[in-house]
Amino acid sequence: MRKLSRIMAFMIALVPALGAPVAFADGKSLVAANKCGDCHKMAGPSAATIAEVLKRKAPDLFYAGSKFNKEWLVGYLQKPTVVRPGGVVYLNNIKTAGDTDTVGSVDKCASKLSAGDAAQVADYLMTLKDASMKAGAFKKGEIKSAQARRVLFKEQACDACHDFGKGGGLSCPTMVGAGARLNPDWMYSFIKDPVHWDPKVWMAKRDFDEATLQLIVNFLVTQ
Amino acid sequence: MRKIMKPLAASATAMTLALGTLLLSATDARAESAADNYKLYCVQCHGSAGTGKGINAPFLSVAPRNHTNAKDMGELSDDNVFKAIKEGGVAVGKSTQMPPFGGLLNDAAIKDLVKHLRGMCKCEGKK
Ligand code: HEC
Ligand code: HEC
Ligand code: HEC
Repeated sequence: MRKLSRIMAFMIALVPALGAPVAFADGKSLVAANKCGDCHKMAGPSAATIAEVLKRKAPDLFYAGSKFNKEWLVGYLQKPTVVRPGGVVYLNNIKTAGDTDTVGSVDKCASKLSAGDAAQVADYLMTLKDASMKAGAFKKGEIKSAQARRVLFKEQACDACHDFGKGGGLSCPTMVGAGARLNPDWMYSFIKDPVHWDPKVWMAKRDFDEATLQLIVNFLVTQ
Repeated sequence: MRKIMKPLAASATAMTLALGTLLLSATDARAESAADNYKLYCVQCHGSAGTGKGINAPFLSVAPRNHTNAKDMGELSDDNVFKAIKEGGVAVGKSTQMPPFGGLLNDAAIKDLVKHLRGMCKCEGKK
């Protein structure tokens, strides 16, 4: 009996080992088991109308592999932090007193995966890519902080909506930690054409030239 | 063969038509009402009451325009308001903190917004 249970234990230990080369297959079942899809869209397309946006409970994940850095995902899925100080859809979290709006309660991601599960889910999420995104669009270059700050804060007022660590808008994701969190190629693509990723995004689409896009993303990578 | 082709062709036409309308409604920003566009894009700064007290307002160095103030809004022509929304504050000599929405909203949707703002201030644009 003792022997049998030992063999059983060995066989159970063997199963994940055998599964290792196709880790994302396990990641996929973990996503299903943890009901990530109850809140997140795991398949496209993104909400196309304002009515649909208002029903969004969590950010779209069907292009997570294009958007995120894997290491960040592994940490976040174990212990989520607040990314959007005003909530996923700020309109759903407004408290109004008199004529003044403030942010009400904001939900964090419900994921509480173990380190091992988080690594497998991250592997799976990294397979969810938007094939149309150009890899290598971002060119790592000199970080021209002063010049970038002038564009971001003086000319474009990106901090009207985004927090860069010194107090900034609440309706959008914080830029604190953007470098660790986001794939620079995706940042490039998103800033160039936010509507490609989210047809109803409340971020203005601007016509930046190539040099300005590289300047901005090189700066954001350090945030 | 002919017999099969006819209904096939008919259903293909119907499907193309259905798809066409679907695509049209998805890309036509006018499918949304001005009130809804105002909520999604403007309330973050101008506030749900439209008086300039949105959740981002405390972090701005210039106060967002109070859209319910007939005197302030009455001093702006409809063309000025249209241009401010489409090209941003800078285009009308105002703050960059008012972003340009021309990349998100087409002219028709912006015109609807101008009308919506005139409803909010209960005022007419300066001629
Ligand atoms: C109860 C709803 C809910 C469930 C279930 C849930 N999440 Fe989330 N998740 C959220 C919310 C809300 C946010 C946005 C938090 C923020 O912006 O601060 C979020 C954010 C995220 C993000 C960051 C996305 C981004 O664009 O910033 C990832 C990645 C993520 N969740 C993965 C998962 C995974 C994987 C699971 C399943 C193991 C999961 N979530 C389960 C609600 C949920
Ligand atoms: C009017 C408000 C607004 C302004 C101004 C604005 N953004 Fe955004 N930004 C958004 C919204 C909304 C999102 C996406 C929200 C989401 O994913 O939940 C976003 C997302 C982003 C992201 C992806 C962040 C992430 O964590 O998902 C980057 C990068 C970004 N913006 C850069 C910029 C830059 C650079 C500027 C200035 C040129 C700028 N933004 C100005 C509203 C704004
Ligand atoms: C990121 C914050 C922000 C958002 C989002 C925003 N505004 Fe503004 N808006 C401002 C600020 C700040 C001013 C004041 C500019 C000044 O007085 O220099 C302003 C001014 C204006 C003006 C007056 C322009 C003038 O010539 O005096 C109009 C009209 C206006 N906004 C309409 C809108 C509409 C419509 C939307 C949504 C489509 C919108 N705004 C979204 C911040 C914002």
